[in-house]
Amino acid sequence: MADFVELKHITKVYKMGEVEIRAVDGIDFEIEKGELVVIVGPSGAGKTTVLNILGGMDTATSGKIIVDGADITRYNERQLTSYRRDDIGFVFQFYNLVPNLTAKENVELALQICKDPLDAQTVLEDVGLGKRLDNFPAQLSGGEQQRVSIARALAKNPKLLLCDEPTGALDYNTGKAILKLLQDMCRKKGMTVIIITHNSALAPMADRLIKIKNGKVAKMEKNTSPVSVDLIEW
Amino acid sequence: MKKKALKKEFYMEIRRSLGRFLSIFFIVAIGVSFFSGIRAAEPDMRYSGDAYFDEKNLMDIQVMSTLGLTDEDIKVLKQVDGIENVEAGYSTDALCAGTESQAVLHIMSMLPSMNELTLEEGRLPEKPDECAVDADLLAKDGFLARNGYQIGDTIRLTSGTDDPITDTLTGDTFTIVGSVSSPNFISFGRGNTTIGTGSVSGFAAVLPESFEMDVYTELYATVDGAKELTAFTDEYTDHVEQVLDELEERKEERQDSRTKEIREEAETELADGKQELADAKAEAQTELADAKQQIDDGWKQLNDGKAQLASSYAELESSRETLAAGEAEIAQNEKLLSEKTAELETQQETLNEKQRELDGKLAELEGSQSELDVQRAIVEQNKAALDQKQQQLNGSQTALDAQKTELDAQWAQLAESQEALEEQSTLVGVQESQLNELKAQYQALLESGTADEATLQAMEAKIAEGDAALAAAKEQLSGAQTQLTTWKSQLDAAQAQLDAGQAALTAGQEELNAGYAQLTQAQTQLDEGQAQIDSGRTQISEGQAQLDTGKAALESGKTQLADAKSQLETAKQEIADGRAQLTSGEQKIAEAESEIAENEQKLNDAQKEYDDGKAEADAEIADAEAELADAETEIAKIEPAKWYINSRDDLTDYTGYGENADRMRAIGKVFPVLFFLVAALISLTTMTRMVEEQRTQIGTLKALGYDRRSIAAKYLGYATLATVTGSIVGILFGEKVFPYIIITAYGIMYPHMHNVVIPYNLEYALMASMAALVCTLFATIFSCYRELREQAAELMRPPAPKNGKRVLLERMTWIWSRLSFTWKATIRNLVRYKKRFFMTVFGISGCMALLLVGFGLKDSIFDIGKIQYHELSLYNGNVVLNEEASEEEQDAAVKKLDADKRVKSTAENLLTQVTISNGKEEKDVFLNVPKEEEHFSDFVVNRDRITKEQYTLDDSGVILTEKAAKELEVKAGDTIYVVDDEKGEIPYKIAAVCENYMMHYLYMTADLYQNGFEEEPDYNSVYYIMQDGKIAETEDVGGSVIEEEGALSVSYTTNVEEQLDDMLGSLNIVIVVLVISAGMLAFVVLYNLNNINITERKRELATLKVLGFYPMEVAEYVYRENVILTVIGAIVGILLGKILHRFIIVTVEIDTAMFGRNIDFSSFVYGFLITVGFSVLVNAVMYFKLKKIDMIESLKSVE
Repeated sequence: MADFVELKHITKVYKMGEVEIRAVDGIDFEIEKGELVVIVGPSGAGKTTVLNILGGMDTATSGKIIVDGADITRYNERQLTSYRRDDIGFVFQFYNLVPNLTAKENVELALQICKDPLDAQTVLEDVGLGKRLDNFPAQLSGGEQQRVSIARALAKNPKLLLCDEPTGALDYNTGKAILKLLQDMCRKKGMTVIIITHNSALAPMADRLIKIKNGKVAKMEKNTSPVSVDLIEW
Repeated sequence: MKKKALKKEFYMEIRRSLGRFLSIFFIVAIGVSFFSGIRAAEPDMRYSGDAYFDEKNLMDIQVMSTLGLTDEDIKVLKQVDGIENVEAGYSTDALCAGTESQAVLHIMSMLPSMNELTLEEGRLPEKPDECAVDADLLAKDGFLARNGYQIGDTIRLTSGTDDPITDTLTGDTFTIVGSVSSPNFISFGRGNTTIGTGSVSGFAAVLPESFEMDVYTELYATVDGAKELTAFTDEYTDHVEQVLDELEERKEERQDSRTKEIREEAETELADGKQELADAKAEAQTELADAKQQIDDGWKQLNDGKAQLASSYAELESSRETLAAGEAEIAQNEKLLSEKTAELETQQETLNEKQRELDGKLAELEGSQSELDVQRAIVEQNKAALDQKQQQLNGSQTALDAQKTELDAQWAQLAESQEALEEQSTLVGVQESQLNELKAQYQALLESGTADEATLQAMEAKIAEGDAALAAAKEQLSGAQTQLTTWKSQLDAAQAQLDAGQAALTAGQEELNAGYAQLTQAQTQLDEGQAQIDSGRTQISEGQAQLDTGKAALESGKTQLADAKSQLETAKQEIADGRAQLTSGEQKIAEAESEIAENEQKLNDAQKEYDDGKAEADAEIADAEAELADAETEIAKIEPAKWYINSRDDLTDYTGYGENADRMRAIGKVFPVLFFLVAALISLTTMTRMVEEQRTQIGTLKALGYDRRSIAAKYLGYATLATVTGSIVGILFGEKVFPYIIITAYGIMYPHMHNVVIPYNLEYALMASMAALVCTLFATIFSCYRELREQAAELMRPPAPKNGKRVLLERMTWIWSRLSFTWKATIRNLVRYKKRFFMTVFGISGCMALLLVGFGLKDSIFDIGKIQYHELSLYNGNVVLNEEASEEEQDAAVKKLDADKRVKSTAENLLTQVTISNGKEEKDVFLNVPKEEEHFSDFVVNRDRITKEQYTLDDSGVILTEKAAKELEVKAGDTIYVVDDEKGEIPYKIAAVCENYMMHYLYMTADLYQNGFEEEPDYNSVYYIMQDGKIAETEDVGGSVIEEEGALSVSYTTNVEEQLDDMLGSLNIVIVVLVISAGMLAFVVLYNLNNINITERKRELATLKVLGFYPMEVAEYVYRENVILTVIGAIVGILLGKILHRFIIVTVEIDTAMFGRNIDFSSFVYGFLITVGFSVLVNAVMYFKLKKIDMIESLKSVE
């Protein structure tokens, strides 16, 4: 199976006055289609930067990212935006729902711009919010909000589902339920899911585990026998 | 502030958020400058006016009297408390004729010190025949300038009344030596008058010496301490009022005394007049009597002359007749003469002929004599022959006579025998008859049978015997007979023989006799011839004698004739002489006649003259008497002197200036407040936002242990600094610039008031800055308080997210379900951020309203000319007829106008100023009575302003123009009263109220006029409309008509329109200021609010970006809200603007005009477009701000 996503020597350098900060310092990894990838690393290791670059929100200083055969590092601003809207689904740590829109509308917000969307209601039912379609974010719990966030990302039918600390703002059980949801989505729909977390305990659930430290890939391994989230404890 | 770190942070904060600081600074500066500036404009206008009036030493009080004012009045006035100084002056209104029109000038004397004139050009008058004229008259379009006058020229004045101008002025011509302006006339108005067109065009200042009046027409007074007070203020008014009250108390007495004086004077004059009249009357009568006498004498003489003439004429006639008779006689005589002459000549001729004839006859006679003599000889011979034969015959005859005597004897025997026979035959006859008788007797007896036979036989025997005797008698008788017959035959033969002899003898005798007869005849003939000859001879001699007599007579006739001729000649001569005499007589008579005719003519003339003179004298006397009577009634009627005590308020346009200041105040009350409100709200939201943004910092500080005051101090300080600096700059700028602009703008209306006094007005400055400060500080404190109330820990956490809310619209599913998702989001957002919603709507509507007011003012004010003169008053010119000219002259003017081919149509009108009242208040309006109502709508359109419904003028009522109706608070169906001097208050029902902008008009039909005024309207004005395309020649037409005596003046609507535009141009600057301010307001508000909006929603927008929204789509997400807000704001702004516009229009309106209440559609469009333009500009700026939003923001935790 050819690599679906390939990162080659990705670096990101921030210049703060005369000081150069190398947030990402030559990262290489590949991901196959349909994998559930967990990227773990301590705070400040550069994992969010990598995710940002991979998600088209930021540009790499150097290196190459190939997603589904296209080199996104050579994309201009507009192409990147198209990339984001068509190929990427993003799940935020703080959900980033539009407070003024109901759950369903928040999903629709994403749908209206993409080419081949799924039905908002179906997706929301899929994530277990079939009964809360018309609730505003403020009326939903954190987990529910995150589910909306995931539904919003999934409904776009993206090539890649990027999740930045999806459980970071959630309690344990809720977090687990969310992770379960993500795993199920990956398994059932064959979605390529990348989860960023600082929690190494989640490693067993991944098809591929990438450890990042100081802007570099410390370790990348394929887990031939990933376990269900239900079985993981932390 | 001891806390150094905080202090530093404060300054850093300002530096960091300079945009925010400046936005507060500027919005406060704008608000304050507008507020204080516009407000200060009002007092500044008063100050400027006051400075001007003080400089010109304008009087405070003016006293005028209907009967003039005397030195005594001055004295009394000076005694009144509070009067500082009194000066007396003269004034009158006079007509000044120009080349194309005439105008009324107010001629006034210059005062020693008050009402000082400003010399604009030239110099002031120094001699009584010099004048300085109103600078406006010499300015472009001024009356004098239009008529080509300039300084150095001479103007001629007429009084405009029956009295000559020289009654009031020393002369009627004045040389213009300069142009001046007067504080009495600060604007364009020059007041009204009773002469000419009724309105004064300008004034002319002259020396008091130029007036020839016994009394002053007006007194001017200044009030102690009034100069120090500002004009147009209550202080000033009250101060002067006190003196006015005092004066009012004194005036009674002065009025009475003046009245008395005048009455006495008039009575004396009347008495004089009466005396004069009586004298004049007497004189006239004497003169007339003389004249009459003379004329009568003349007539008498004339009549004598005529009689004489008549007798002469008769004489002449008779001589003429005599002459004619003589002439006829002469003619007759002449004829006779000529006849006679002719006769004479014929006679002569005849005579001559007769002579010749006589001579002829004589000769003939001689011939006949000789012939006769021959014949005589012959006759003699024949006679002799004849005599012989006679003798022979005589012998034969004697033989024959013898034979005859024998025969005769035989005859006598025979006759005897015959007689005897016959006796026998008779006897036989008796026998027979006796027999026959016997026979008859027998027969009778036989037949009767009575006679016996015997007697019968006897008788038969007798009969038989008688028969036998008879038969024998008869035989004897027959034998005798036969013998006698034989005898007789023998005798016959003898007889025949004798007869033959006798016959032959007779024949011879006869032949002889014939010879004899012939001879005798010849003899007779001869004798006759001889006699004839003799008679011829006698005749001839007689003829000759006669002829001789005739000749003699002829001769004498000829002599007579010659005499007659000579006599005739003499007569002719005589007649010719007579005729000559006659001719000369005729000549003389003709001369006499013509003389008489002449004299008659003369006399008639004299008579006529006398009659005229008498009539004239009578008329004059009657007039004089009437005049005297009038004078008497007038004296009786002499209105008691009435004093008019005026303050400055009664000066033309003086109060207008104050009203303008008041209008400015009205504007100052609305606009700046609006601005100020926006500014306050802006700084409020800005500060609130600032405090909210710094929630964490506040929390941190609080956590660190700073007390609330120290923390709040930063924000309060921030706000204070921005507000105070902004206020100061605003005041410094606003209070100078705005009043200056406004006063300068009004300067167009008050061209001669050059004083601009614009002191800093502390009151408004403090008011504005304090208000600004209070607003911002209150907002800051309020926000700070809300934040500081919370616990530090809570502050460190992000604020609980605001709940999403369903909006009302969602309940209307049929709409909501139709909306696209993004629209739903937009609407929810709009509803969610209510503060922003209202602020933005307010800001944008404010902008829209200001723009609308700005453009609307332009429309309303600038359009009134257009609407008035293109939609309502459709006529191009108005010819005012000269009421002093005769009707024919007026008609000529109208006809000339009618005949002009460039003129499309004309309409005659009565146009006069009247006072109308609603029972309480009065108002001066123009009364317009069209001659032909049916065509009136071609000239003046009466319509409703809003519905545009056209009204037709009919007898159901009058039509009043809108402004007048509004000011008198009347409407259609109400009754108004026309105040007439004679008829009092005439009620009229208002049929309609019509749209009109310039002046006030009352339209009524001629019938209504007649009903009310009880007289025919006297049409005095003619409206005219030019042909299409000939509009440019309107003034040419007017100019040609004004040449007519019957036309007094012409006014052109285009002129009025231009004037109007000039006058109202002053508001243009105000409008520009408004538009610019509106733009600034819109920009600041929108920028600020958008800024806040974007900052507040940074995270949401970043998320959208992450989700793959293109920058434009992100912008749209925000813009959509802005667009809606802009549209809502604009709509609200339209409403607000309309209200504001209406308010301003009503407050800035001048008395005689109604500004349009309309705002053109284009203005809405422009206002909207500009508002949208500002909005777009702000949004464009925002685009870059949006683009700058980092997507990474979305990943951060909520602050």
